[in-house]
Amino acid sequence: MTVLRVDASRGLALCEAEDGERSSVETALVEPVGPGDRLLVHAGTAIASLEPVQVPA
Amino acid sequence: MKFVDEFRDAELGRALAGEILTLVEPGRHYKLMEVCGGHTHSIYKYGVDDLLPANVELVHGPGCPVCVIPMGRVDDGIAVAHQEGVIFTCFGDMMRVPGSNGSLLEAKAQGADIRMVYSPLDALRIAKQNPDREVVFFAIGFETTAPSTALTLKRARADGVPNFTVMCSHVTIVPPLRALLESPDLRLDGFVGPGHVSTVVGARPFEFIPADYGKPIVVAGFEPLDILQAVAMILRQIKEGRCEVENQYKRVVPYEGNLRALEVMSEVFELRPHFEWRGLGFISHSGLKLSEAYADLDAERRFSVPGVRVADPKACQCGEVLKGVIKPFECKVFGTACTPERPIGTCMVSSEGACAAYYNYGRFAREREVV
Repeated sequence: MTVLRVDASRGLALCEAEDGERSSVETALVEPVGPGDRLLVHAGTAIASLEPVQVPA
Repeated sequence: MKFVDEFRDAELGRALAGEILTLVEPGRHYKLMEVCGGHTHSIYKYGVDDLLPANVELVHGPGCPVCVIPMGRVDDGIAVAHQEGVIFTCFGDMMRVPGSNGSLLEAKAQGADIRMVYSPLDALRIAKQNPDREVVFFAIGFETTAPSTALTLKRARADGVPNFTVMCSHVTIVPPLRALLESPDLRLDGFVGPGHVSTVVGARPFEFIPADYGKPIVVAGFEPLDILQAVAMILRQIKEGRCEVENQYKRVVPYEGNLRALEVMSEVFELRPHFEWRGLGFISHSGLKLSEAYADLDAERRFSVPGVRVADPKACQCGEVLKGVIKPFECKVFGTACTPERPIGTCMVSSEGACAAYYNYGRFAREREVV
C-alpha cells in the first residue's frame, strides 16, 4: 500500500491499495514513514517498508 | 505495477524454467514443500508447477492460518459469541470454518452478533463505539498477523478500553516444521520458506532445518518468478551439495526479521505449553497466549470457554493435506461433498488453503484426468 498521509501522534497512516481502496494502517513497526512510501501491510499493520528492487536475472 | 509486474515476466519465467532443467538429475525425484498457503495459491494461480520438470514435485505445507485451527477452537469461539452482550469479531474466512455444530457464519444467522473485520484495529474501534457491550477479537494467524494483534492490545491498554478482549489462537511456524521433519510419512528434499512470516521473524529461525535435518530452505516471495527462482536456488544447493538457509525475498525480508515486531510480540504474548493443530495434533510450544501483563484482556479468562477437543470429520483429510502426505484431489470428498461453497474441511475454506487453490484454479478437472 502507498502512504498518503501520516498521523504521527497516533502512529497511523492513511494508505491506498493498488485497487484504490484506502484504510488506516498502524505504522509503529516501520516508522518513520512519509507520503509516497510503500508498505507491506498485514491485518492493518505495516510489517515492512518496500524498497525499489532489481528483477532476478 | 511496481514490485509486481517485474516478477510476472513470462520471458524471464521461461528462462528460469530452462535453468531449473539444467539443475535436476534425470531419474531422481525431488519433493519440495512450499510452507506457506500464499505460495500454494500463487503456484496454482500462475501455473508455476507446469513450468517445472516432471521430477520436481511441489507439496503443500501447513502455513495456512485458517486451515490449522481445530474444530474445538471454532466451537469455543461460537460459545463466546453466544454469550450475553458479546460482539464477536473475526476475519472473514474464519467465519466459514466448520466447527462440530456449524460455523461462526451459521451462529450469526442464529442471532449471535458476529462481525467480520479486516484488522484487530477495526475490532478495537467497534469496542470504543459500543462501550456497553463486550467486544472479543478472535485472533488467528502466524507471526505475520500476531504483531497486529499485539499492537492493538497495547493500544487498547493505552486508550483504556475495558470492554475489549482477544481470544488468542495465534500459532508459530517453526514447531510444525520440526514436527513434519520428524514425521516418518514424508520425505522432503527442501523447503520454499514462508516470505511474510519471515518478514517478522527473519530467516534465522529456519537455520535448524539445514543444521539438524540436512535440508535446504529458501525464503521466497509470492510472485511467480519469486517461486521459480526459489526452486532454482534449492535445486542448485542440492546439485552443489550445499545445505543452507538462503533468502530470495531480500527486497522485503531482513535476515534478522523486524526487531520491533519481535519485541512487541514478546511483551504481549507467551508460548502455550502445547496447542492443538487441525490434522497435526498437539504440538509443544507452537501456540501463543496473552502474557500475564495482558491477562485482563484475555477473552479466555473473562468468558467461559468449553475447551473441548473435537475430532475432525472422518471423511475429511485436511490433516494429510496439511502435512503434504496427499494432494487435495486425493481426498475422498474433494470437489464432491466438500466444495468452497459447502466446505467440510478448512483447506477448502480459506483462499490460502491448498484444496481451495486446486479447486479454484481448475486442478480438480486436470488431476482427475491424470488419475
